[in-house]
Formats: sequence, structure tokens, C-alpha cells
Amino acid sequence: MFAKFLTTIVTVLAGIGAALILYWLLNKLAELMPSKYEEKLKPYFYILPAYTAIAIWLLYPAVQTVVYSFKTKVGFPAESWVGTQNYSDLLGSEQFRQTLINTLLWLAVVPVVTVILGLAIATLTDRLKPRAEYLVKTIIFMPMAISMVGAATVWALVYDYRNSGNQVGIQNAVWTSIGGEPVAWLQTSDFKLNSFLLMVMLLWSTIGFGMVLLSAAVKSVPTETLEAARIDGANERQIFFRVIVPQIWPTVITVFITTLIGTMKVFDIVFVMTNGNFNTNVIANEFWLQFFNNNNKGAAAAIVVMLMVAILPIMYYQARSFRKQEAYG
Amino acid sequence: MRRTKRFKSVVSASVLALTSVGLAACGGDEGSGSDGGAVTVWLSLDQSVIDGLKKQVDARAAEEGIEIKLEKVDSIDKVIKTRIEAGDPPDIALVPQPGVVASIVELGAALPLDDVLDMDALEASMVPGTLEAGTVDDQLYGLLVSMNVKSLLFYPKKAFEAAGYELPETLDELTALANKIKSDGGTPWCLTIESGDATGWVVTDWFEDLVMRFGGPDVYSQWVTHEVPFDSEVVREAAGYFEEVAFTDGNVQGGRTSIVATNFNQAAQPMFAQGGPECWLLKQGSFFTGAEFLPANVLQNLDAELGVTGFPPAEAGGESPVLGGGDLAVLFSDSDEAATAMQILSETEIGNEAAPVSSFISPHKDFDSSLYPNETTRTIAGVAYDATTFLFDGSDAMPAQVGAGSFWKEMTAWINGDRSLDDALKNIDDSWPSS
Repeated sequence: MFAKFLTTIVTVLAGIGAALILYWLLNKLAELMPSKYEEKLKPYFYILPAYTAIAIWLLYPAVQTVVYSFKTKVGFPAESWVGTQNYSDLLGSEQFRQTLINTLLWLAVVPVVTVILGLAIATLTDRLKPRAEYLVKTIIFMPMAISMVGAATVWALVYDYRNSGNQVGIQNAVWTSIGGEPVAWLQTSDFKLNSFLLMVMLLWSTIGFGMVLLSAAVKSVPTETLEAARIDGANERQIFFRVIVPQIWPTVITVFITTLIGTMKVFDIVFVMTNGNFNTNVIANEFWLQFFNNNNKGAAAAIVVMLMVAILPIMYYQARSFRKQEAYG
Repeated sequence: MRRTKRFKSVVSASVLALTSVGLAACGGDEGSGSDGGAVTVWLSLDQSVIDGLKKQVDARAAEEGIEIKLEKVDSIDKVIKTRIEAGDPPDIALVPQPGVVASIVELGAALPLDDVLDMDALEASMVPGTLEAGTVDDQLYGLLVSMNVKSLLFYPKKAFEAAGYELPETLDELTALANKIKSDGGTPWCLTIESGDATGWVVTDWFEDLVMRFGGPDVYSQWVTHEVPFDSEVVREAAGYFEEVAFTDGNVQGGRTSIVATNFNQAAQPMFAQGGPECWLLKQGSFFTGAEFLPANVLQNLDAELGVTGFPPAEAGGESPVLGGGDLAVLFSDSDEAATAMQILSETEIGNEAAPVSSFISPHKDFDSSLYPNETTRTIAGVAYDATTFLFDGSDAMPAQVGAGSFWKEMTAWINGDRSLDDALKNIDDSWPSS
């Protein structure tokens, strides 16, 4: 124990020391340059370690993943190139296409609903007295602090199903009390019911996030603009859609894109609740299955590459609108 | 002024760098591949089994003058591969799946045991079929140390005897018994399969037992290696029998939806309901006699309350294979100490301390049965010792994308009514890796 503690201390001190020395050296190196270049080059020298870290821990794995996606039996002695077979195998399988459709459904529903409900709650609570607003917002925000796996335990009780007797699940308890037969909610894929029920869980935890950001944006809308609109005879609906929404649009985009990316990666909910059974599979869960369960790293890499390609335009759009905002804001 | 500013930025950058170095340091000190001469053995058995094994292992190790360290490691099947890739595996690991043993061999990390162990003695003492389970390319790589038996039929003993039912000798008699229970107003089968992210394995056990009964051990082994596909006569025959058990109206509480929705560990609860059995027959493995699966009053009085018998063969007096699983010891280190440790693990007496205090069942026929804690365990061990062949859980031996993937998922979808049997069997065949 003591030895471990000592090792930790020494490592930490050595780490700080090494970093200090590194920066001191870089600094010296820059100072060696003619002073005209020194000031110009110094920022690059300082940012170099960070870029190196990104290259090692982000770019290298990304490139590696792309390489793996064209191979089979990755990690085994029989590792070999297979061209685009991983991709064609995946896209050729009916189950994977269903998985893609499910993921698209998640993408179509979750971000939009998060923005709409988040904005609605933000606008409505804005009209409450401060104490009430504080209380309501805290309650809505709270699920965000619960890990999704923990939340799944709660939601498993909501969707629980018993074939007879007292229903433990709230949803079935309500349903049977109004005369219905118990329904195995998570096993019912008609009209994608089970997928929608899983989306409710994600919404439950993301709406608080959207609400907080949008609420701050709504509050920062200058009151002069609202007053001016009122004087001009605008009604509340017009004020909301023509004055408030355009001014908070950048925040709306941020919330939308953050939720979108989060939804693309949604895994824990599906993994814990159904593990993709009953036609609820999504792309991240499929990745997990391929990588850890099937030990098929080639196919897993192919899935990640597809996900990466799908996310890139969104990232680009967000980076662009962020830069625009910086420029005008 | 300029100087302090620069110093500040240097410090903050250092703190960033330190965080990553510190994290790396935390992860680094865990390796225990072969430190200090002790032989490291990984196992994932229940703690009570490990405690029992440890007593015997320590005593024998002291006699041999070596040190053996037993470490409980969960999901060995996943961790072991990472460790092999890192070049730091333990000296010996007890792996629960023959499929994983095969992939360790494929990775070139396992050492053959034929030279290390006394093979003739093992042939004589082990239950027939158990050595084949750990054999890859005609060489033994995985030695079964602890065993469980899956071809078992549990029933509520008192009510069963009071109703005058008789234990079935063949699969047809089993069907007849189920029908009789139903005509007496009972629900014959206790069948539930939900198991979190592993939902489906209960059905695969059913299929394995049925395939080895309808097709015989050879066809079963060919099926496990995919020489006989899923879309074949024998698998359809098995599916037909399972269909009759599970899908017939009134055979299972709540029908197909309920089979999929209810956790497998709840299966025995209705069997011992207050007002008499709400279901009568349960096919499960030997582990089901554990505390998590049975009501407390049954557990206290296990021999009197819980009846157990072998899952019947297709024909009386014919081939009587038994399905089971277990933990296979794989050797990674070529040191003499590790070889000695392996020899100790292969001894019949290795379970002497574990058997009386845990669910341990020895794969050695010459094991002293009086050491088992109760009649139930003796019966279960007897089922295995009397079997004509012990066949390892096939889904564990299949490639993971089938055995722990499509086989589970497609069967679950079939029972839930999302998939026809034809599509399910075809999908499983399609998911079999090409090479």
C-alpha cells in the first residue's frame, strides 16, 4: 500500500517535472530564434504537446479504425485484407438494415422533441415566480444527473410485465386498471412501440439539458426588443416566433446538434433494456455486439467508420455556425 | 511581469500533461503475470467453490514446494484476450467456454497438455467426453476441472409423488406426462428465458439437449462445428419438440410472451407456490439448486422438496448423452511450477474440500460421491457419471457471433413471435463466420 502510494507520488512529481522541463525547453527553443520569429512561433510551440496528444489518441486510432474496417480476423494470426466485404456483409443483412432504420428513427425523433419540449418548458417556466421556476427546473433537470444504466433500473419497473396477478410495472398497472390485458411493452415491436418507449427514456434525461441552455438563452433576449414588438402591436405568438426564436436560434442549433450526436451514440439504454432484441437494435449496440461479443473487430470498425462519416457533416455544420456566431456575436 | 505570465502558462500546461501521465501510472501497476515465483491461476467460479479449491490446492502446493495463487476474475473470456495481446496472461486460467479455449489456441498462447499430464490416467478417471471438450487439433489444451450438468429435469417432489406421476424414461413419455398434468388441470412446464443481455441461452440449452438426443453425439458434434447446418432435419425435429413444449396452449403460464418476458431465475417460484404447484416440470442446469433460484423453505429441505432426474433420452436403453459445461484449465506458462500446478488441478482429489461446501461437481468418475453435501447433488453427479457421453454446451463451443449472438437472438425472436422458424434458422446459418 505504502509502496503504491509512494509510486503514485513519485510518478505525479516526475510527470509535473517532465512537463515543466518540456515547456521550458520549447520556450528556450523559441527564444533561440530571431526575435521576429520568436513571438510568431511561440504559440505553435506551446500548442505542440496538445496537438501531439490529439494525434496519438485521436487521429491514430481513427486511421487505425479505417484500416481495420477493411480487414477480417483482426487481432488473430489470420488477419487479412478483405476489401469492402465488412461493409457489404453488414449492409446486405436484413437485421443491420433494421438497425439503421431504428437509428434513423431515433435521430428523427429525439433531437426535435428535445428542442421543442425544452424550449416549451424554458418559455413557460420563465413566466413563473423565481422560486417556483427554480423548483420546476430542478426537478426536470434531475434525471440528467442519473446514469442511464441506473435510470434503466427505474424504467424497467415502469415497463415491467407479469402474465397474471398484480402488475408491478406502473404502465401495466394503469393499463390493466382501465381494463386492458397486460402488455409486454418492450417486446411489442408493432409500429415500433418498444423503440419509442426506449426513446422516452432518453428524452426524460436530455430534455433537462435542452431546457437549461434554452432557458438561459430566452432570459438573455433583450427586453427592449420585446417591448418594441409589443408597442408595434405584436401578439404573444408573434413575439415568440418572430422575436425570441430568431434571437436564440444559435442555442437551438447547439442543443439540436449536441442531442443529435448523443442520440447517434445511444447505447446504454438499448443495451440494458433489450440488448437489441425485439427489433430495437441501434448502431452503437450493434458495434458493441460485433466488437466484444462476436470478436469481429473488422465489422465493428466498419460500423464506426459509417457512424464517423455520418457525424462529419454535422460536426462541420456546427463548427461553421459556431465560427459565424463568433464573428457576428 | 512578462516572466510571471509565462511561468503561469507553463504551470497550467504542466498540470494538463500531469493528468495524463498520472492516469497512465494508475493503470500500470496491476500486472501480475508471473511475479515472485507464484503460479497465478485465474478462475471465475463461485467464491465458495474457490475457497474450497484453495484449501486443497494450498495443501498440495506446499507438498510440492511451490506457491499457487488463485485469483477470481470475472468475464475471463474477454479479459484473457486483452492480456494475451498485451503479452501478460496468467500462468493458468480456467475458461468456461471451449470456444474461447480454441481461440486462445488460435492466438498461439496456449500450451498443449498431452506432455504435462498423465493422459492414460485421465482417460480412465474422467467422465467420457470431457477430454474431447478441451481438445483442439487432436491435442488437449483445456482440462475440465469443475463441471456442471445441464440435462436435468426438476419437479416438485412431494406434489409429484402425491399425484402419482411417474418419471419419464423417454422423450415421448415426457410428452405424455406433460399432457397428463394438463388433463389433471395443471400447467406442465416452468419455462422462462429472460436473462438481460444474455436472453436466449435457456433455449439454446433445450436445442442442444434435443439435437444430441434426436441426432446422437456425432451429429451433435457436427452441428456444433456447422457441418450440419441449423436449417436441417435434426434441428427442425428438435424445434418441433420444443414447439410442442413451449407453444402448445396451456403448457406454459402466460404463453410465449411470458416465456420471453420472465427472468429465468424465477422459473421455480410457481413450482412451489402456496396453493400447490402452478407448474410442474423444469429443465435447467445443476446450478439451479442454488439459493438465488429456489424459495427458502425448499432450500432448507432440498432433498425432500425438490425432485431431480436426468432429462430423458430419446429411447430407453439407447444412447444417453448428457449436456453440461464447466471450467477448462488452460496453461500459458512453460515453467515447471506451472506444469506442477496443472498436474495438481488434474487430480481427482482436487475437489475434496470444495464439494462438501459448495456447488462443485467433479468431472472424475472415481470421485468420492459421499463428499457431496446432499442427495440432490449426488443424483445430479450420478446423471453425469452414468451418461454414455458428456457433451459440452454447444453454444459455448460455437463461434461467439452464433453461440452467444444469433442463436440467442433468433430463438428469442422466434419465441416472441417476431420471426418464423425458417427465417430464424436461416439467419443463424448466415451469421456463421465464413472462415
